[in-house]
Amino acid sequence: MITQEKYRTRVKELLASNSVKMVIGYKQGSTADRRRPLFVRSFEEADELVLDSNCIGNLAGYLVTEGLLSDEKRVGIFLRPEGIRSINILAAESQLNPEQIIIFGFDTSGREVKALQGEQAEDFSGLIDSLKEKPPEKSSDALLYRIDQMNTEERFAFWKDEFSRCIKCYACRQACPMCYCRRCIVDSNQPQWINTSSHTLGNFEWNIVRAFHLAGRCVGCGNCDRACPVNIPLRFINARMAQEVFESFDHYAGTSQTQEPVLASFNKDDSETFIL
Amino acid sequence: MAKIGVFICHCGENIASKVDCTKLAAAIGEHPGVEVSVEYKYFCSDPGQESVKKAIRDNNLTGIVIAACSPRMHEATFRKACAEAGLNPYLCEIANIREQCSWVHTDKDMATEKAMDITRSMIEKVKRNNKLQPIEVPVTRRALVIGGGIAGIQAALDIANAGQEVVLVEREPSLGGHMAQLSETFPTLDCSQCIMTPRMVEAAQHPKIRLLTYAEVEHVDGYIGNFKVRIRMKSRYVDIDTCTGCGDCMTKCPVKKIPNEFDCGLGKRTAIYTPFAQSVPNIPVIDKTSCIYFKNGKCKTCMKSCQINAINFDIKDEFIELEVGAIVVATGFQVQNTAGYGEYGYGKYPDVITGLQFERLASASGPTAGKILRSSDGKVPETVVFIQCAGSRDPSKGVRYCSKICCMYTAKHAMLYSHKVHGGKTHIFYMDIRAAGKGYDEFTRRAIEEDEASYLRGRVSKVWEENGKLMVRGVDTLLGKPVVIEADMVVLATAMVPQPNAKEFAKIIGIAYDEYGYYNEAHLKLRPVESSTAGVFLAGACQSPKDIPDSVAQASASASKVLALFSKEKLEREPVVAATNEITCAGCWGCVLACPYNAIEKKDIFDRSGRLVKRVASVNPGLCQGCGTCVTFCRSNSIDLAGFTEKQIFAEVMGL
Repeated sequence: MITQEKYRTRVKELLASNSVKMVIGYKQGSTADRRRPLFVRSFEEADELVLDSNCIGNLAGYLVTEGLLSDEKRVGIFLRPEGIRSINILAAESQLNPEQIIIFGFDTSGREVKALQGEQAEDFSGLIDSLKEKPPEKSSDALLYRIDQMNTEERFAFWKDEFSRCIKCYACRQACPMCYCRRCIVDSNQPQWINTSSHTLGNFEWNIVRAFHLAGRCVGCGNCDRACPVNIPLRFINARMAQEVFESFDHYAGTSQTQEPVLASFNKDDSETFIL
Repeated sequence: MAKIGVFICHCGENIASKVDCTKLAAAIGEHPGVEVSVEYKYFCSDPGQESVKKAIRDNNLTGIVIAACSPRMHEATFRKACAEAGLNPYLCEIANIREQCSWVHTDKDMATEKAMDITRSMIEKVKRNNKLQPIEVPVTRRALVIGGGIAGIQAALDIANAGQEVVLVEREPSLGGHMAQLSETFPTLDCSQCIMTPRMVEAAQHPKIRLLTYAEVEHVDGYIGNFKVRIRMKSRYVDIDTCTGCGDCMTKCPVKKIPNEFDCGLGKRTAIYTPFAQSVPNIPVIDKTSCIYFKNGKCKTCMKSCQINAINFDIKDEFIELEVGAIVVATGFQVQNTAGYGEYGYGKYPDVITGLQFERLASASGPTAGKILRSSDGKVPETVVFIQCAGSRDPSKGVRYCSKICCMYTAKHAMLYSHKVHGGKTHIFYMDIRAAGKGYDEFTRRAIEEDEASYLRGRVSKVWEENGKLMVRGVDTLLGKPVVIEADMVVLATAMVPQPNAKEFAKIIGIAYDEYGYYNEAHLKLRPVESSTAGVFLAGACQSPKDIPDSVAQASASASKVLALFSKEKLEREPVVAATNEITCAGCWGCVLACPYNAIEKKDIFDRSGRLVKRVASVNPGLCQGCGTCVTFCRSNSIDLAGFTEKQIFAEVMGL
């Protein structure tokens, strides 16, 4: 509650001094433990801001809304550490100018919320480096542990079963801060590389393409997972890709604003295990 | 409406023995859009090509598929035939039913089925092919030759003698390279400097050659016909225009004991020096690391001794920007560092020397004026042991290849030694005697038969000193016995290796290299002097170990490639280049990073009032090599490759 009050005051200060034109934060959602995004432009709206352990969505994706940053004015945003990593990736991919982004950093442990020191993305580089040093334990999630124990056939069967529910609504794409393309590859129909139908093949095509497009870019915020209306545990696919690029190329998504995309860059000492 | 002609080639029996071509032609004739489907023994033959042209004209074909060998073989042949028949050459596709079908299968029925699939898929592709026009780029008719050894000089002279401008860049203070260091040359034993220096002088005085010595290429940009090069002119601290080369400064310089690089450390030089007496240009340089003035700010003896005030310690490095149309890389080689051969005692015993050091001892211009003397005591050695393959053909030392020149120069050394030291004894340890070349085998036989070189087939395990003698323990595998020879001098035929910075330099120019750092040719057999990058050619030992005749031949070959390139004002490039979709491009710049040719730039898009709307990727068609790396990277599918468009590839895949 202290952090919430502190940040409400700070938001009002920034609005009053015209330092930001808007702050993106959280407000009360449709149920007691749900939070929805809030776009604060006035003091009254600032009073609606909520900051507690239920604020789990990554709001970074709203920043790349077409035209939002083109006036070069600053925008404030509430972000967890993974959200800050998203800002770094978006900056590295030239989707935003990080100097325009004022960060209200926070993290939660249990029900407790703590503020993170810093205002600009680069202020948090120490924090992100420490996250890279100790990636989360695999066994921390029961389902992830189960998937890890499976052999290739079992895993394929598991995902086939999960994907059989996919209705190709693309909510995962809409929720992902990294899916900023104006025309997604699935919307390209000349030619139609990816099947539009939600049958097994089409579902596999879509989800595998998405996984590859997020390789080295996913920060594991879980937006896709929560957005999925049929509860496919999408974050595990991306977590696996993140693990692969980390182990093969020592690439941890979003460490800096100049990080090169792992699939477009090449180093002399890159592992080349695929070359026989 | 598509009217496709399909021409199925038997390739003698190469295809026909495993693919039922008659059945294939009949089946393909049924495929939608196919107007003509015929078979023939050799479509690449003159009558074969004529029949293709006739079919195009008679049937007004809109595209053709040649079901035959790999497009690497005859794509160009049939595209040309298309053009002659009035059909855009890019409306011709090759279905590879030889390398990818008949050669790799045994079951005729199944191979025929597969040939049908391959051919159908290409028919579907060619239906969607577009007419493409070659891209024309202007050619700057000026060549850059990098390296002033025999290869570089030869290439520069050949190009200049044909009337084209050449810029010849040499890293060292003088032209000459390794050849200038040699004593006599095999197989004729003519004096190396006597045949080299006239070439050096000719290159320096040639009106079409601009000579830049003590200079290094630092940056290369651009593409075939249009390279932009930045060259660093390292400061000599001597004004090249006023210096007369009198040499007073060198005699006065108080620092006199610097090991002379040109003499491989066997002689000494001063801090202001020319590498050797016949240096071209004959202008000294100051070695900054040894010069007293640069160490503690005092001395300037040379400056005071110079009567025309040519020495100036304030001269800075200068940069020259040049536009050139072609580049010949002739950067040469180095001798392998023998430190890895502790067992032979190089560096430990002064009389264990490398072949190149022996060249300097034998050279009339060398530190001993051509006398073979031991570095340790100045005495004439009575027994000399030569160890061939000291590094070469030895995977444990990192060199698997044969250095090619060592058998010949070792025979030459033995010969020179016996001519200079009458009664001296030579022993040569060898693995094989590789003497393939005009007059080469006769030369090694002469060393054995006339000059009594004793060849021992076997390796040396150890060299050590005992009672003032170098003890060489080896094995004579022909006798099956170990041998120990008491020697006064041991000469190691060390391996030829690429220049230490060869890989970094390759990256500057943008050419490929092998695991050792030798530069890769475009095709080992058929395009041996072209690098992997269009407009960049290779000459001499930077590509692989070579002797003088081979280096000169390759240099002339490179020159002829350059001249062919310069024979036209404009250059036609294949129109297979990428293009971006500016509407859908998200501007993430992954393609800019992924492009190995730096062909993608950022382009600003403005609205009518001049406000920046967005920035998108834009491909420079002059630079693009059509590799398609950017296409595979682009997440939003906003890049397409002409001739291999998404639609074409999709149709090809779906045609299977």
